[in-house]
Amino acid sequence: MSASSNMNWDRRNVLRAAMGLAAVGGLAACGGNTGRGGGSGSGTNLTQMFHAYGEAGTEQAIKRYAKAYKDANVTTQWITSNDFESKLFSALLTKNAPDLFEFHPQIQMVKSGQVADLTDLVEPVKDDFNPADIKSHTVDGKIYGVRMIDDPQFFFYRKSMLEKAKVEVPTTLDELMEAAAKLTTGKVKGLYMGNDLHSVNDTLIWSSGAQHLDEKNEIAYHTDGVVEGLKKMRRLFTSGDLLLGAPTESWDPSSFNQGLCAIQFCGMWAMPAIQDALGDDWGVFPFPKVTDSGKPSVYNGGWSMFVNAKSKNVDAAKEYVKWLWIDQAEYQEDWATSYGFHIPPRTSIAAKADKLKSGNAAEGVKLFNEFGHFDNIGWTQAMRTAFEDVFANSVRKNMDPEKALDRCDTAVNRELKKLFG
Amino acid sequence: MTTTIPKVRKSAPKADTPSRAGRGGGVMSSTGLYIATGVAALLFLIPFYILVRNALSTDAEITGENWKLFPTDIQWGNISELFSDETVPFAQTLWNSAVVATLHTVGVLLVCSLAGYGLARIPYKHANKVFYAVLGTLMVPTAVTFVPSFVLVSSLGWVDTYRGLIIPGLFSGFTCFLFRQYFLGFPKELEEAARMDGLGYWGAYWRVVVPNSLNFFAAMATITFIAGWNAFLWPLVIGQDPSSWTVQVALSSYMTNQTVVFHMIFMATAISILPLVFVFLFLQRWLVQGIAQTGIKG
Amino acid sequence: MSTTTKLDVPDSATAKASPAKPRRGLRGSPTLTFWLFTGPFLIGLAIFVYAPILWSLWLSFFEARFTVTPDKFVGFDNYVYMLTNEDFVGSLGTFTVFAAFIVPTTWALSLGLALLVNRLRFMRAFFRSVFFLPTAVSYVAASLIWKMSIFSGVRFGLMNTVLGWFGVENIAWLIDPNPPWYWLVIVTARLWLQSGFYMILFIAALQNIPEELYEAAAIDGAKSGWQTFWYITLPQLRATSTAVILLLLVAAYQAFDEFFNLLSKTTWGRPPLVELYYKALGESQDYGAGSAGALILTVLICAVTLLQGKIMGFGRGDESK
Repeated sequence: MSASSNMNWDRRNVLRAAMGLAAVGGLAACGGNTGRGGGSGSGTNLTQMFHAYGEAGTEQAIKRYAKAYKDANVTTQWITSNDFESKLFSALLTKNAPDLFEFHPQIQMVKSGQVADLTDLVEPVKDDFNPADIKSHTVDGKIYGVRMIDDPQFFFYRKSMLEKAKVEVPTTLDELMEAAAKLTTGKVKGLYMGNDLHSVNDTLIWSSGAQHLDEKNEIAYHTDGVVEGLKKMRRLFTSGDLLLGAPTESWDPSSFNQGLCAIQFCGMWAMPAIQDALGDDWGVFPFPKVTDSGKPSVYNGGWSMFVNAKSKNVDAAKEYVKWLWIDQAEYQEDWATSYGFHIPPRTSIAAKADKLKSGNAAEGVKLFNEFGHFDNIGWTQAMRTAFEDVFANSVRKNMDPEKALDRCDTAVNRELKKLFG
Repeated sequence: MTTTIPKVRKSAPKADTPSRAGRGGGVMSSTGLYIATGVAALLFLIPFYILVRNALSTDAEITGENWKLFPTDIQWGNISELFSDETVPFAQTLWNSAVVATLHTVGVLLVCSLAGYGLARIPYKHANKVFYAVLGTLMVPTAVTFVPSFVLVSSLGWVDTYRGLIIPGLFSGFTCFLFRQYFLGFPKELEEAARMDGLGYWGAYWRVVVPNSLNFFAAMATITFIAGWNAFLWPLVIGQDPSSWTVQVALSSYMTNQTVVFHMIFMATAISILPLVFVFLFLQRWLVQGIAQTGIKG
Repeated sequence: MSTTTKLDVPDSATAKASPAKPRRGLRGSPTLTFWLFTGPFLIGLAIFVYAPILWSLWLSFFEARFTVTPDKFVGFDNYVYMLTNEDFVGSLGTFTVFAAFIVPTTWALSLGLALLVNRLRFMRAFFRSVFFLPTAVSYVAASLIWKMSIFSGVRFGLMNTVLGWFGVENIAWLIDPNPPWYWLVIVTARLWLQSGFYMILFIAALQNIPEELYEAAAIDGAKSGWQTFWYITLPQLRATSTAVILLLLVAAYQAFDEFFNLLSKTTWGRPPLVELYYKALGESQDYGAGSAGALILTVLICAVTLLQGKIMGFGRGDESK
């Protein structure tokens, strides 16, 4: 793999990309001045990688959008494995890497030069984006991804079950624990937060009044509040009031819909499926505060498009991202509201999304705005895994939370040192 | 190995001959024996029972509050539902598995048997060193080489191809080792007679050794085919696109998918096992004899 | 097809064949023939096995994050990191416990089944098929059946249904590590998948035991049963047992599929391969540390295998060379 051959490739690729751009018709600022050439972009092939969304019709939708694009031939890899990260990461090392892919903003991908700078695409419409979505994708003033959807995650509860057990909607973690106990009957468990409980990792930190990293990118999650929260989670885990070992993880509403539990942590995307299964017999509430100084919180997850900086077709890929996720408002709205419910990160599109304006969906949007926390781009996959281990060790296993957090600190500091020196 | 057995017997092990009475002694009466075997067999059959039951039930019956011994209405429709599912081209994945497992088997048998014979029988002063180089690969866990292999194969442009699925797996140190052990035990007189007749090693191998080893080849073929059909990790990374998935990858995708449709995943599992069950039932006799000769019995 | 004893042949391959065999100058020299036979295999082995191993070795001395063509040499840092990493070292412990348990258990179960089947007079082929059939099932398929049905943590899992009849609460088999029920799940799956194959090996070996030994023992007054089992059957199976244990050990430390599919997001019950996959080769993409860990593991495996070989004498035929 000599450097010179790489150079050749690069030059050829730049040429090819330039031709692709020319065909696109000079939409981009740097569009070739040759104008619309022959080819009509038929030579450009792009591959995009998506994780498998659970909602019916999503895969067809993504493929439909791709088909509608005239300037390149876009093929979709729909990764059904729950190991999307590994699959994506290993693919990015190879010649068969996707040209563009969806993921979450994580700084190591920027630092290692895996994702391309998309500032020029986003800048013109920057004000139309939720500012938090811009912030979470920005490193040193450059924007590296285009947010497609925001996915607030919170609790869903069965109104009838709470009424029957005479339980109010919990506002503190203690109340949630009590509610879980009261709601547990022979065949129904009070609460489901996923088998590994990892979907509430982030909200536990926020609801304890802490955060992952502070402004200086130093550890900020290791607080007394978080320790207290972990201890409570441990009590909850051993109480027998949690649904454990369910066939689907918490991002799927099946357990809630099948009546295996009265309260489930899930995401806004599940609303249409829940509505179908349970009618109006459900409501939503944020992760309650853990300590007195804490606040309820909602995890504003979501997915963003990134362009593989090492792709042979960076410019064509950027062009496609711009076309679909910046320009095509109709598709963006379709993507956000026709299958599962997601909040469009674009204010103009969110304003038009009527499905999100009434009932529980509107309540979800309210929680998103009021209690939502976004990803911190400095919090990488390795740190995420390290904190998941804290839950595994101190909640599912009986390790002292302080000790578990210390171990996490070691791992996170190693990462931080590599990223920020 | 110190207490080497006086192996006086010349006859081949015949696994199908009824047991000689008295063997192992009368710890157990005949009835007790059958009860014990029966109970063990029942336990071994439970997973198959669950598979069939769930594959032919509705989800409501599978997840219902009370265990249904068998579906009230047998849902044959689950089969067509599985094959008409758009997200996972199940028929295609079965076909891929069949192609991959078959070519894998042919390739492994050819390459590894030749090498095994060479190592066992052809005089070469460094043969043992070569053999240790082969044996050493048995100790290296797949994860060591997994990522570099993937990058290597990918830089050859073999991702999503049959080549990429098949070729890297052909060079099995273990199979080569088994062939070597087997050929070491192959009666020398036969080959020597062949070579007296003017055949070289090559001729003797194809005219005498192989035709006299069909049982063993059949056994190795079956084992290799099963391994090829059941392989998971490698097809998982090589098969990026569903059209090049093998059936195991499809199964795993059902298991980790966001939505779990029980009757579909169990039907898929059942169908994925079916071809091997047939292979087993028909080839069992050779398999048992062949395994007996693998040489791993010492 | 005579299976004359394997034991008197092994060491001889090269040694015995070389002296004075009248060869009539056909088809080139034996050396050339040797390479003709082994060449295709060895070339493939070099490209698809040795090249990646060397690549790993090289990577292990570099800071290789998010790349497999790194340029920052770090010496033994990766090795130090892995050897001081509690999770990795812990997983080596896990593996040892797992191997120490699963190997003898599988050995005992396969032998037990072989003894049972071997004594049957009717329906022998049927029972043998029943025990052998799971060999055809993949680890993925078995994990699926175990996780989704037998040991599902909810009310419709088979085990929980059965326990429910006795009024026992649902158990989250795979989720709650106290008590560590997950071992039950993993061990039963592995026993089910593996025992049949080794049972066949034992049946073959049992049939090789000469009848005369039992007759002689009977004359000497040995009681049929435990005594003959202990003094005749077991010693006669020594060679097979050795091979079976070696194969089981290899299988135990290559364990990945069912752990990967059954236990997600745990910090326990991880064999080294899974640990490496998650910690280094998977999400954190630290290929340097991952390769270092893998090589440490390899050295360990070699040591264990050689030790076992020394103790039980497997492959002595080869070593005597």
